Amino acid sequence: MVLIGESIHIISKNVSDAVKERNPKVIQDLAKSQTAAGADYIDLNLGPAKKDPEEVTQWLVNTIQEVSDLPVSVDTLNPVAMEAGLKACKKRPLLNSASGRTDSKESMLPLAKKYNTDVVISVLTDKGCPPDVDSRTESIMETVALANDMGIPNEDIWVDPIILPVSADQKQAKEALEFIGMLGDLLPGVKSTVGLSNVSNGTPEELRPMLNRTFMVMLGRNGLYSAIADVLDKDLVRLNKGELPNIVNLIYKVMDGQAIDTGSLSKEEQDYVKTARVLLGETLYSHAWLES
Amino acid sequence: MDYKAPLETYSGRVAEVVIGKGEKAFKIGGENVLPLHFFEGKVENRQRLALEVLDSEPKTWTEWELKPYAGVLADPVAWAKKCLEMGADTVCLRLVSTDPTDDNAPADRAASVVKQVASAISTPLIVYGSGDETKDIEVLTKVAEVCAGENLLLGPVVKENYEPIAKAALEHGHCIVAQSPLDINLEKELNVKLLKTFPRERIVIDPLSSALGYGMEYSFTIIERTKHIGVMFGDATMQMPIIADLAGETGKTKQAKENEKQGSLWESVTALSLLLAGANILVLRQPESLKLMKEVIDGKI
Repeated sequence: MVLIGESIHIISKNVSDAVKERNPKVIQDLAKSQTAAGADYIDLNLGPAKKDPEEVTQWLVNTIQEVSDLPVSVDTLNPVAMEAGLKACKKRPLLNSASGRTDSKESMLPLAKKYNTDVVISVLTDKGCPPDVDSRTESIMETVALANDMGIPNEDIWVDPIILPVSADQKQAKEALEFIGMLGDLLPGVKSTVGLSNVSNGTPEELRPMLNRTFMVMLGRNGLYSAIADVLDKDLVRLNKGELPNIVNLIYKVMDGQAIDTGSLSKEEQDYVKTARVLLGETLYSHAWLES
Repeated sequence: MDYKAPLETYSGRVAEVVIGKGEKAFKIGGENVLPLHFFEGKVENRQRLALEVLDSEPKTWTEWELKPYAGVLADPVAWAKKCLEMGADTVCLRLVSTDPTDDNAPADRAASVVKQVASAISTPLIVYGSGDETKDIEVLTKVAEVCAGENLLLGPVVKENYEPIAKAALEHGHCIVAQSPLDINLEKELNVKLLKTFPRERIVIDPLSSALGYGMEYSFTIIERTKHIGVMFGDATMQMPIIADLAGETGKTKQAKENEKQGSLWESVTALSLLLAGANILVLRQPESLKLMKEVIDGKI
């Protein structure tokens, strides 16, 4: 799976301070550590980028490119910042993201065409996040058709089903899994991506990696092409590289509903089994899901 | 062709909880079906109805809420007996006097009142602290100690104070009420943590009971889902009976305070709804609602 390193995020205080002070060190350290950890892209999440959008975005893209050869995923809701960022990219960037929202269709999709980028298209619409597989399908078919009409081929489109926190709406994990499983038939040739860590938003910090890793394996089995993820989590990267096949097989077994003799498993293996069951909606989530 | 009703069988069963000691005791829970699905399996124990008793005179009750208890309001023992005469299965004694924002009465005084009431009545006793999570540690552990062996139902036990209270309840032989703030994931988390040291057969869940018009549907859904998860999906951490502590919440509403008839109906409709959702104990205030719920449970309405 293609991994997009998520750590350069304006919500992080270190990052927002560094941006205010135009201090390249914090940004470059994050770019370097994610590159070394095995990221395939560096995500640059600017949020709405209200202040000096052009100058800030260009500075950030250039700052990253000074220390990393990886392509950049320019992640902002602001089309002005987006265009400035795409212009500054040396390698073919990922426009992150467009969606089925009217403003996004009007302002983001044309940029993807103009700068010949790969583009994330999420299932969001003017009404918010579609609640189930059918409404996600309806939304994405419409937006992708529009993108195709504008000359953006399926191969350049990375569909994002929108991942919601399992602690807030547990059944959404399964909806996203199903949707990713169907996507190849719905829209042949499209790629896909998710904001993986969102599945563990709201979960106690030290427990988040377990949810992120397990969900990545499950989505990967259903055909997910890429994930915006915490690449500084070593086990997540190892799982992705296929270095932990016993864990992967165990998670697959849970997905297949096979009987598992949990007594013979290590604590870590049991934790993966419990987590997969929570993500499939077989057991009710609580912050103490690993304790029962 | 004869019509054959489709019947379900379920993998889980609600734990049977015994409250009270000896001949006074009664059981709640134990059903292996969804709430009131008499046609599909066994509803082992009937739902129980409690009336509230306060350990100091109510300050916010309406005139018509006070009227049935005239003459006993200053005497929790006499008040409790009066409730049982009116047909309540049990009494929910609220130690409101211990509230630090109110009288801040000491724990041992409250515990001695509990002891007197528990000794004087012929039914089990439910005891609720003031709900102040810090003071309740002091109050409820003292009550547990002073009333050792009475097998009270003690609560509320919350995420912030479950350890010391559960420990005291375990040591002195009582059941506990596990309370969570209208959130099924937090409800489960507290259960999981309690179950590490405390037996499932001595826990009753209080998901918080909101009043009709003030979020009752949240309580309804959480009670319903708790039963689904425990009975249909067999999740052992969610198989405890449920207490719907609703009288205080309904009594607070503008509608309940407007007039007597409306006040009584507000409590009754909330109680009936939560009974249908799956509550195993209802805590009521008004004798009229008690009568109505009794008729419902006994199948007379």
